[in-house]
Amino acid sequence: MGYQCGWIQSLLRTVRGSGRTFWGLLMAAGLLSLPALAFGADVAPAAATEYRDIPYVGSRNTIWVVAQLHLLLAGFVLGVPIFAWLCEVVAWKTGEKRYDKLAKEFTKLLTSAYATTALFGGILLFLLISFYPKLMNYLTDIFFPSFIVYCLLFLVETMTLYLYWYGWDAMQEGGKKTFHIFLGFLLNFFAFFIMIVPNSWATFQASPVVLAEGSDIARAWAATWNPTWWPVNIHRLIANVVLGGYICGAYAGIRYLSARNTEERDHYDWMGYVGNFIGVFGLLPLPFAGYWLMREIYQYNQQMGITLMGGFLSWLFILQAMLIGVLFLGSNYYFWLGITYRIPGSEMKYRKPMLSMLIILLLCLGVWMTPHSLVASLEEARKMGGTHHPLLGVFGVMSAKMTVANLMILVTFMSFIMYWRAGKQETATWAKVARSIMGGVLVLAAIAVIVLGVWGYFVPAIIRINYFSTSQVLIVLFVMLTITPLTALLLKSAKTTTEMVWGKMPPRAGYALVLNAVMVVLLMTLMGYARSSSRVHWHVYGVLRDSSQYAFSPALGYAAAFMAMNTFLFCMIVAFIFWVATMGDKAKASHS
Amino acid sequence: MSEVVKLQLIGLVVVGIGVLILLLIRAQFARVIGFVAIVLGLFALVALSVPQMASLPPVEEKFDIATVKTPTDMATIGQKIFFSKGQCALCHTIGPSESARCPDLKGIGAKLSREFIFESLTQPQAYIYLDYRHEGAPKEYPARMPYINKNPIGLSRNEILSVIAFLQQMSGEPISVNPSELEVPGQAPAAPVKAAESGPVAVAQAH
Repeated sequence: MGYQCGWIQSLLRTVRGSGRTFWGLLMAAGLLSLPALAFGADVAPAAATEYRDIPYVGSRNTIWVVAQLHLLLAGFVLGVPIFAWLCEVVAWKTGEKRYDKLAKEFTKLLTSAYATTALFGGILLFLLISFYPKLMNYLTDIFFPSFIVYCLLFLVETMTLYLYWYGWDAMQEGGKKTFHIFLGFLLNFFAFFIMIVPNSWATFQASPVVLAEGSDIARAWAATWNPTWWPVNIHRLIANVVLGGYICGAYAGIRYLSARNTEERDHYDWMGYVGNFIGVFGLLPLPFAGYWLMREIYQYNQQMGITLMGGFLSWLFILQAMLIGVLFLGSNYYFWLGITYRIPGSEMKYRKPMLSMLIILLLCLGVWMTPHSLVASLEEARKMGGTHHPLLGVFGVMSAKMTVANLMILVTFMSFIMYWRAGKQETATWAKVARSIMGGVLVLAAIAVIVLGVWGYFVPAIIRINYFSTSQVLIVLFVMLTITPLTALLLKSAKTTTEMVWGKMPPRAGYALVLNAVMVVLLMTLMGYARSSSRVHWHVYGVLRDSSQYAFSPALGYAAAFMAMNTFLFCMIVAFIFWVATMGDKAKASHS
Repeated sequence: MSEVVKLQLIGLVVVGIGVLILLLIRAQFARVIGFVAIVLGLFALVALSVPQMASLPPVEEKFDIATVKTPTDMATIGQKIFFSKGQCALCHTIGPSESARCPDLKGIGAKLSREFIFESLTQPQAYIYLDYRHEGAPKEYPARMPYINKNPIGLSRNEILSVIAFLQQMSGEPISVNPSELEVPGQAPAAPVKAAESGPVAVAQAH
């Protein structure tokens, strides 16, 4: 003890000399408390702490908010580089400098957005270790090798991001530009792995593969390659493109609304168009990825699938239908506004098709939102002969929902094609034949989707799921893969009859872009809740039970309040990031 | 005031604030915040208007062997397990339903022996029996029966015997499971229920 006190006196003398008395006292207190460890060693070891909580707020709610914000920011910082890189490639290939400017404008956000995401990731990690030590010990034991990989990926991603952003102006010409494009590719390549490594931890919780024996790497690898890992990877990759596109659109929408001159209005109107285009581009295949994910969940565990689609979470999918429906309507509405205001003279030409599309979309949305069973009083249920409505009940089943989802994708795709062709006159000699083929493909595809949907009522569920639904998806994909290149070929030699006019969109176009972004973020929060709740009272499904007081999933209304709050907080954080990143530009503009 | 009502009030206030911002404030960014508030408030209100169901962890049926005197007592416990911890009703119906993902269990206790039911619950892939339906051709179901004695459901032997008792009672059959077969904690387990003799995987169809 005397030896220890001598050290302390020496330490105090040292720090006093440098004027840091406070730190010296702190260190001395730490050293003086060391003997307490010896007393502690005599006491029988207490049982390991499994959970910790915080008063009033609750550990689960805290984790919910932080994890959701981290995930949304992660989606943003992984989606934006894809968006920026695509724009840079377009600029490189076409020579259109405005795409390069757009790409740079969004890459500028990445440094601050990246830091914010990492900040929330760090907070989340500390909170998880503190609140759920049992779970984190278990996950660390299994995933230790992939934790190391994750850290290494962060190092290379950060270095690549610095090179990509700070080298932008220096790498603009010739081979340097090619190298810069390659850096952009690398940025997305590493980002993809940064996304799929933690995906393996989250999907393991839902569909665990646990090896009882084997090396650390063998166990981590088996746990990583679990049944829902790749479906979630693909689904999130596409969803990140959608998020990046629509967030860009929302930013453009807000800047368009507050634009002070024609130049700004033109620029942000065009940016909104690009954002919406990329958002829709990702949105169209997204339901297919979601369908694949649900199939894998059902194949992994029927109970989990039924809990999601037919159990206590079934009403969640009505809300999902509402959000996706509004997103489809918002995206189409923006296309239609574009045709009406940006291409003078097109309004009358396309008014009827637009009206027809709106009616189809609304009808489809009505069917998609029809619940499988109705909330009815006993008397009402008796009158109906059950909880299924005699007429509307047929719309509540999966066969109907799959059909209308595919029809909505077809309609949105046709809106996009219509916008693409507006203001142009095809001059190719085979234009008439091509138009007939495209019309024929579209009509036949729509009929086939409807026929398969109706037929689906009369076959066993396994036939419908394995063959009919898959065929519907393939038919719609076939339409996209046929009509897109055919239209591109047709328009290559087309004559522009009406030049697109930018900056003429009404203010509601800006609000439509904001609405789309909010819908995408809400959808992400909603499906995050679904994924987490599908594990019911398990941390790791069927392996590690949740024995905390929070081993239940709250009702949808309570969860929706959290989703709304998280969405609002995320929007505010993103707005702050945009504000910080563009502060310098505004100052420069006001000086010049 | 219930939690739902409180949340509905908060939702209405958020929508109201959004409307006021749009009506009174000209600054574009604030107006966008008002618009977002309306959208989020409406979303929460819609979510609060659908049935509110929380998912609670299953209640463990405590087996106080001393209180289980008759096979009927076992069937009563088995019925509770069937609809709660066993999760049987998540996939199975008792009575015909075309939309069912799994076989209808009405009368199953009369149709199958207790040994076969026990095997179907603990080794569900050992013998796949397609002719569950009461009428029509044999039907293949999309669902796969889980191992009921393993996690995530993880019923104990006593609980499985009770479910068998319930299935037999529900089918109007005499209950062939007896409380004396129940395992008493700390004692040697009772003799296992003899499984139906079959190959590792077989598919049976009635023609």
